[in-house]
Amino acid sequence: MTSHVKIRLASERVNHSVTTNNDLPRFYTPGEVVTGMEDFMRGHGTYAVDDSLKAAVAGVMQKVNKLICIRPRKNRYVGEIGDVIVGRVLEVQQRRWKVDTNSRLDSVLQLSAVNLPGGELRRRSAEDEQMMRKHLQEGDLISAEVQSVFSDGSLSLHTRSLKYGKLGQGILIKVFPSYIKRRKNHFHHLPCGISVIIGNNGYIWITPAGQTNVVEGDDDEMAAVELQTVSRSDRDTMARVRNCIMALAASKMMLDDTSIMFAYEESLKYDDVKDLLDPEAMLDVAFLTQHRINYVVEE
Amino acid sequence: MPGPDLLSSQGLRLDGRRPNELRRIQCKLGVFTQPDGSAYLEQGNTKVLAAVYGPHQAAKSKSLQDSVVVNCQYSMATFSTGERKNRPRGDRKSQEMSMHLRQALMAAIKTELYPRSQIDIYVEVLQADGGAYCTSVNAATLALIDAGIPIKAYVIACTASLAWKDGEPEPLVDVSHVEEAAGGVVLTVASMPSTGAIGLIEMSHRLHMDYFDTVLSRAMQGCKDIEVILDKVVREHLAEGWTKSDDAITI
Amino acid sequence: MTKMWTTKSFLTKTKRGNIIKIVREHYLRDDLLCGSGACNVCPHKDDELVLEEKPESICTLFDYPHYLILDTNVVLHQIDVLEEDALKNVIILQTVLEEVKHQNTAMYQRLLEIINNKKRRFYSFVNEHHKDTYIEREPGEKQNDRNDRAIRKACAWYETHLSICSVDGKFPKIVLLTDDENNRKIAVEEGIVCCTAKDYVENVTGAIGLIDKLSKNVIPETCSRDALYPAHLTPSQIHEGIRNGKLYQGTYRASRDNFLEGTAVVNGFEKPILLQGHIGINRAVDGDTIAVEIFPEEEWRRPSDIVLEDKADDPGDQLEEEAVLLKVAEPVDKSDEEVTPTGKVVGIIRRKWRQYCGILMRSKFPGAVRHLFTPAEKTIPRVRIETRQSDVLAMQRILVALDSWPRNSRYPLGHFVRALGPIGNKDAENEVILLEHDVPHARFSEAVLACLPPNDWTIPEEEIKKRVDLRSECICSVDPPGCTDIDDALHAKALPGKTGDGLKRYEVGVHIADVTHFVRPNTALDKEAASRSTTVYLVGRRIDMVPDLLSSNLCSLRGGEERLAFSCVWEIDENANIIHTKFHKSVIKSAAAMTYEEAQIAIDDKSRNDKVASSLRILNALAKKLNRKRLDNGALSLSSPEIRFQMDSETHEPVEVAAKKILETNSMVEEFMLLANISVAEKLAAEFPQCAMLRRHPAPPPANFSTFLKAAKQQVR
Repeated sequence: MTSHVKIRLASERVNHSVTTNNDLPRFYTPGEVVTGMEDFMRGHGTYAVDDSLKAAVAGVMQKVNKLICIRPRKNRYVGEIGDVIVGRVLEVQQRRWKVDTNSRLDSVLQLSAVNLPGGELRRRSAEDEQMMRKHLQEGDLISAEVQSVFSDGSLSLHTRSLKYGKLGQGILIKVFPSYIKRRKNHFHHLPCGISVIIGNNGYIWITPAGQTNVVEGDDDEMAAVELQTVSRSDRDTMARVRNCIMALAASKMMLDDTSIMFAYEESLKYDDVKDLLDPEAMLDVAFLTQHRINYVVEE
Repeated sequence: MPGPDLLSSQGLRLDGRRPNELRRIQCKLGVFTQPDGSAYLEQGNTKVLAAVYGPHQAAKSKSLQDSVVVNCQYSMATFSTGERKNRPRGDRKSQEMSMHLRQALMAAIKTELYPRSQIDIYVEVLQADGGAYCTSVNAATLALIDAGIPIKAYVIACTASLAWKDGEPEPLVDVSHVEEAAGGVVLTVASMPSTGAIGLIEMSHRLHMDYFDTVLSRAMQGCKDIEVILDKVVREHLAEGWTKSDDAITI
Repeated sequence: MTKMWTTKSFLTKTKRGNIIKIVREHYLRDDLLCGSGACNVCPHKDDELVLEEKPESICTLFDYPHYLILDTNVVLHQIDVLEEDALKNVIILQTVLEEVKHQNTAMYQRLLEIINNKKRRFYSFVNEHHKDTYIEREPGEKQNDRNDRAIRKACAWYETHLSICSVDGKFPKIVLLTDDENNRKIAVEEGIVCCTAKDYVENVTGAIGLIDKLSKNVIPETCSRDALYPAHLTPSQIHEGIRNGKLYQGTYRASRDNFLEGTAVVNGFEKPILLQGHIGINRAVDGDTIAVEIFPEEEWRRPSDIVLEDKADDPGDQLEEEAVLLKVAEPVDKSDEEVTPTGKVVGIIRRKWRQYCGILMRSKFPGAVRHLFTPAEKTIPRVRIETRQSDVLAMQRILVALDSWPRNSRYPLGHFVRALGPIGNKDAENEVILLEHDVPHARFSEAVLACLPPNDWTIPEEEIKKRVDLRSECICSVDPPGCTDIDDALHAKALPGKTGDGLKRYEVGVHIADVTHFVRPNTALDKEAASRSTTVYLVGRRIDMVPDLLSSNLCSLRGGEERLAFSCVWEIDENANIIHTKFHKSVIKSAAAMTYEEAQIAIDDKSRNDKVASSLRILNALAKKLNRKRLDNGALSLSSPEIRFQMDSETHEPVEVAAKKILETNSMVEEFMLLANISVAEKLAAEFPQCAMLRRHPAPPPANFSTFLKAAKQQVR
């Protein structure tokens, strides 16, 4: 296979910045004094020395009543109950799966927190325990929801809804979790015939709309879905969506259905999907998207 | 004793700097998308890339119950010095540098926050022209900040040497390779300038006790100067990625 | 202050022969000063205004105020002219300074000295780091051409810089002095005023003798017309020849007796290579590193036995005398063991010329300017110099520098540097001895004197607190009569109690003047002392290593004065075994400064029972035991008789020479100094095993005795 690889000099690289920095908030950097200690509570990203509260990360301050936090520009995913995540199964253990969710400790999916074939609630038998690998095995991708957070910060997941479960054919994109905008809904069917799951943990799943991402039922049915051919046009569209998301991420823009859809529409002026890999084109798409978002916000 | 040639009669160093001037510093944060944090730093002709992964689940064998495991790896590119030299990653010098790097950074990282986790810090020297260790520490600090890992303060390393001008000792800050090679003493200090704490201190040769304080204070001043420059870059980097939709409250 | 950043890159060869590219940073600045009094742009402080605002022109070629900028070749060749006070307001560019340093460190030192002399008004301008005068080397440009361009750029910059600042349009111009024809041509094209050093100096008014100092620098191999000598090979030819084994590298040593003979020691030949005749020697001067071609074995000769001196009168530019010498040297018998490898000089790798003392041989023609100069050192050929002051100089010892030796000149060319004094005058002759032996004997510079403590310096209280106080000990010094620099002192006393073996115990101390308290590392004083490295004693004069205040006052352990010392104190049993040693800095007060003779009398005089005498007796007894031990251990005793000059107290003329008497006390002091050295050496070897070193004499090679054996053989006959 031959392909054109273009390696740019550092000096020729594109600056992806699209934002207009008019009204910047106050930034704090590590070691900087945030406030005197009195009457404030120490939150994430801060630490107390003597009589003052200092920043431990570089970012902006968030104040909830007396609690002061410094939120960094990006960090590992910190889960909250109810978050939608996309993750990858790492390990099958006794009565549970270990799942990589881009957080600082691996998350746990208990056998009791999944819907097993046959539906409804039933006792997990010893047989089920032995069949765990049949259901989900190492390397499988799943969508899930955060059920609870353990004391050490690791997450407990559940897939006890038809929305969640093992993912079939599609594209996984990893972005920094801070680029994901928290929304009520993270499952979107885009008008272009593509579904996306924007995981709160920064993993984004793109799949053709026709595919039911949640597979329930017996193995044969599962296999049938996996083998289902995705049409050329669907694959083109998926690739385009993927490139649009990468363009937005490169310009550090927030991701939600609106921004992805806007970017997709703006990208249509590039006929060939692969043109979107060009840094100039990425910047162009991101810039136009930002422009449209600003327009919408002003209205 | 270093030759008197390190300072010209006009008080300039071999490359045209004055004794208290740093080399040119250029840096960039977030140069990679794959690691959690990354930075590229140039101090003069010394060029270093740093990448930080984590905190992530620690390997079972290493995992600590009460703090995070910090893993450092320092390596020099084959082409980093004048003569090409294949440096296997595990060579003695790199191992020692990795340990020193870890020592300096451990002083700042708030390790107690992430039990059972691990942070990997990879530093690659692309070009070594004096002060490779210092540049590595500074780049690693930037990468840690980029990764959003809590640290007490900036960890900054800087070197200082001693030259003579008209019979008076004159410390030199941020020593270049030529000055290092001249055979004088090189004092390396890794410190947190905002608190004044010193994480690591190392000296290449003997130095008379009478001059130690002046050399040390010159190195510490160098750390402060570097911190100012890096802090500015960090703030610019934050501002660059800022979007209005972020909800921040300021007082 | 803003800094601009650029890089310099160049290729260099490593030890293993790999070519590597080195990239160095180079910062350009805008805070560098021009040093001119006529400038009101640069933020000068008063002491930074080196160049006069309205420099007075002394050259008739340029009758307006101007500053001089020198090219590197001018500095390298005309340093003697520059050292004259006549030339002032000169700008030395960093480019030039670095080139000079690179090519000749001695010249560089002399140039620095001129620059440091504030009266001379030489300003060194850092053009290489100035943002407006730095230039980058262009692709394909030679380093030399680039430097020439940098110099011209700096000239142009000064010209415009000074004109901008000028209010009334009257500002000093710039004159570039260069001996490089090409550089001059381009400079003229660029509108820079320039001329050769020769033209400039010859038109200087009011400085007599300046012209005499002009170096007669001609490129020796270009004078092929009327050539007397064969041309030397080029450096690359020599390099090639040495590499493929046709040529050999060696140091030329001229014969003292025969000016047409010399030798060179080269690798691979046991005997030195014989070089004979004008052509064989081919303009090599004693000390030069040369390339030698060795003849086939049948042409080898034996060294001549005759004494041959250069003729007294100047024969003009022709060669002679060869026949006499060569006939003598023709080997009688091929098996003659005195036949040595013979060869000829084919090239000079490096000249080792210095300045030579000697006398002027006036030309026979009255009013002539060209004269011959005969050096005091016999191994140096006579030199042709030009001077208009021959009447005065004929009676003087003079100093001459060699410049070049063109092919068409029988003698090397040189120029007059300075007169030392009338022939036969004691001071002048002393000066000759000092110069010929390269003894630094100039007066101590201001910078050195500034390092000295005040004249009325006394030991500060806090210094005494830091040291061991030995002022109560009965310490005395023993030195030759008339000694003013007493650097060591001794004490001894019996200790109560006995050793485990039932022997008496003594405490013995050696105290050395603590010079380190006054001479701090890396000060001007330290460097000066390091370059002198010893005090030189002439008959009527002493050349001090450190200024007088230290050597014969503060660091001289005079009787009754409190002095700083470094002490080595032993506990010794009566058989002179060391039980315990300690070292410390101390304060002492010598009870008596004695001569060897006085000390001897004190020991011998049974009636004396004071502290000094008893401690001397202890020392003397122990010294004898130490001496015996040392000799038993295989020590070698070398002694050459020392002589003393008796001086006339009025005229300071030596009147009598006498051999020094050796007394017991001489060896007593010597013995304890040795003991101190040994103890210190042991301590050093124990404390600093990595950097302690032992200096020892290697066994002399048999070849060193060949001359002696030859002479001895003749005696037997």
